[in-house]
Amino acid sequence: MNHSPSETIIETHDLSKRFGERPAVVDLNLAVPRGCAFGFLGHNGAGKTTLIRLLLGLTQPDSGTIRIAGRPLPAERAEVLAHVGAIVEEPHFHGHLSGRENLSVVAAVRGPEARARIGAALARVGLSDRADDRVKTYSQGMRQRLGVARCLLADPELLIFDEPMNGLDPGGILDFRKMIGELIAEGRTVFVSSHLLDEVEKTCQAAAVIDRGRLIAQGPIDELIGNGRREVEIGCAQPRLALDLLDGDPAVAGASETADGVRLTLAGADGVAGINARLVQAGVAVFRLEHVHESLEHRFLEITSRLGGHQ
Amino acid sequence: MNFTVARQMLAAEVLKLRRNRGLMALAAVVSLGVVVLFFGYTAIRHASNPSAYGPAGGIVDFGRAVRLLGLFFGSLTAILIGAEAGAADISSGVFRDLVATGRSRLALFGVRVPAAIAVTLAFTLPAYALTVAASFAFAGGNPDPSVTLILQSLAWVVLADAVIAALAVGVGSLTGSRPITLTAIIGWQAIATSLLISATSLGSVRDALLTPALGQLMPVPGEALRYATGTAVVVITCWVLAPAALGAWRSRTQDA
Repeated sequence: MNHSPSETIIETHDLSKRFGERPAVVDLNLAVPRGCAFGFLGHNGAGKTTLIRLLLGLTQPDSGTIRIAGRPLPAERAEVLAHVGAIVEEPHFHGHLSGRENLSVVAAVRGPEARARIGAALARVGLSDRADDRVKTYSQGMRQRLGVARCLLADPELLIFDEPMNGLDPGGILDFRKMIGELIAEGRTVFVSSHLLDEVEKTCQAAAVIDRGRLIAQGPIDELIGNGRREVEIGCAQPRLALDLLDGDPAVAGASETADGVRLTLAGADGVAGINARLVQAGVAVFRLEHVHESLEHRFLEITSRLGGHQ
Repeated sequence: MNFTVARQMLAAEVLKLRRNRGLMALAAVVSLGVVVLFFGYTAIRHASNPSAYGPAGGIVDFGRAVRLLGLFFGSLTAILIGAEAGAADISSGVFRDLVATGRSRLALFGVRVPAAIAVTLAFTLPAYALTVAASFAFAGGNPDPSVTLILQSLAWVVLADAVIAALAVGVGSLTGSRPITLTAIIGWQAIATSLLISATSLGSVRDALLTPALGQLMPVPGEALRYATGTAVVVITCWVLAPAALGAWRSRTQDA
């Protein structure tokens, strides 16, 4: 696998695409760092698949530019996509051909090097023993794995998976997550479009959120979630008194009352022990003190414009 | 695209067709089966009443069988295979994955035509060989076809079936649907063309039809329309190029 020196593997600049009157992607400026698993989040119909189709040259943008591995699309489309493997929506195959034959069809299109990778790709996804069975006898999970094998024929530096966990059972999801980790360890970049927020949080190091075609947030998962905010929840019997005591405390950047105590946003990394000591010395009975871990799901719903409208 | 890739892509297209067992069985029945049926029927008829019916072989029945192969059942084989070659990638959804490799869409379309012709000829050439053998075997007192006629007829069968296969690939790529392609081409060739040929009020407009143009080039011609060989060549070329151009255009421009 040859890497080009660019640190950003996907870059779009003011990318827009409309279908009739309906905007699917609007002025999208996306930057996907190389060598990580990147989650692309959005509700159904937010524009995720449209962006993927634009990246792969399956449809043409109305305006804006795309660069993959530093090379412009569509000008250098053939050279760029020779090192990209993708599954768009769900993997499709000729059902009357075996798994191996389906791979040989794509390998023929990709070139002689791809042909030599068929056996290894099948072994990698655990399909060697079913490789000569017709694909129409495969389960959904096996088709998904065969789709990944098809991607690997390119020895890709970038893999694009569109909703890869759809239809997989828990074991299949676990295997897929593990495989993404292995691909990243090999220095590849995996771009995962999904609305399964928990999966993206577990699998990806960075993400972007798209809503109604517009990019509304992107960055490392921790930053997106807001874990840098260092929030703590304190369970106590006298929350009003606790708020009064902490009002003006330099270690506290913000505070609010909760059902069984207070929630604090800390000003710095330290200070929790001091706050606890102050409360206890003032007679506030503290029975719980814990750091708040925001989930991506909570953050996603918080920042999308349809907050509360989705589960 | 270099020669190795082109050869591999062609082999892959042939693989897709050849592994379609239902299609292959149907193509075998329509090509080889019909020749067997034709000579079997005429041989039995002759055996049952030699005074009323002549021998099954010889130059006359050779000509009839060649016509069957070139214009009817061989063409049907070509339509079945061409429609599959043209529409299979699109209807199965695989076209999107092939486009996503970065390979030129025109190249993806381009290899379908020779693949369809190759697979079609894999049926019609044995059927033609069977025709020649039966023409000699059942000739009885009838004159045998000459070597020249056999070679000319071979070239004509190859031309006719290749033309129809290419046409079907073009229409299949244009529609992306095998059923629509089969309905359109079989309907046009089997029904509409016959009606138009018999519509004398259309005059020279009928010169633009494919079947009589192919019939014009047949070594033993017999179609209702008669016109210059050059005109026939132009008409046939247009019938190949127009659907191919439409199929290529659709392959190049459609959202995958």
